[in-house]
Amino acid sequence: MTALAALLVGVFGMAGALARFAADTLFSRAAASGTARTAWPWSTLLVNVVGSFIIGLACSVTAQNSLAEPWSTSVATGLAGGLTTFSSWTVATVRLWAERRPVGAVVNLAANLSLGLGAAALGLLLFR
Amino acid sequence: MRTTPGAHLERSGKPPLPPATAWMAVAVGGLLGTEARYGLGLVFPEDGGGLPWTTLAINIAGSLLLGLLTSFWAERAAAPSWLQAGLGPGLLGSFTTFSAVVIAIDQLAAAGSHHVWMAYLGLSLAAGLAAAVAGLVLGHVLGRRSAGLAGGQS
Repeated sequence: MTALAALLVGVFGMAGALARFAADTLFSRAAASGTARTAWPWSTLLVNVVGSFIIGLACSVTAQNSLAEPWSTSVATGLAGGLTTFSSWTVATVRLWAERRPVGAVVNLAANLSLGLGAAALGLLLFR
Repeated sequence: MRTTPGAHLERSGKPPLPPATAWMAVAVGGLLGTEARYGLGLVFPEDGGGLPWTTLAINIAGSLLLGLLTSFWAERAAAPSWLQAGLGPGLLGSFTTFSAVVIAIDQLAAAGSHHVWMAYLGLSLAAGLAAAVAGLVLGHVLGRRSAGLAGGQS
């Protein structure tokens, strides 16, 4: 069962990573008319909020005993963990700051945190 | 133009769709990054009511490495696009996680562990951003140095 769990977590993480890469690609193409000065990491915000909602939902459904292992860990650690990213968020924030866009950098921190915390809380409450 | 992590910040003109090799590299990197995070969680399990040190360490290490690769590649532009996609969005994007941070903060707050969630949030932000800065600076220096060793080509 642990080998199956480890395999499932990885496959769900792969799906999350591909979905995140697809979002990055779509957003960078959609925003291609904008200039470098106006680009902002929208796709990271989107995947982080959606992934935070998914992990909240997975936790509440698991607490209801409606989602057993290894599916629970696969969705929370694999899918939500692979879809969301911390490193792109911190690096993009520092780059915005370095480009003399302090408002963009601070809004990037605040938006991901507030919407992510809210989305996870909403997911947690939904099946309580 | 190559697909650098964060390349959307300095793009000019409509970027082409990433090649199939980039998608495959993201899939492999995503699998390995997720397995590494999962494995570290098994080796260093997090105590439910305490500060999630394993996730914190993963996110700090991932921020440092992504910063390093981002500025190294910006300096050198030497890596093929599949390698950049596989290591950046694939491996490091999946190794680090945002959802585990916010769910832990929500649950610690709901349990009344206010000092713990505040410490976790503060440490994640301060150390994660500091690691990204350190990585970006280090990658810049290493990129310059290796460009110099290669005969000063830019």
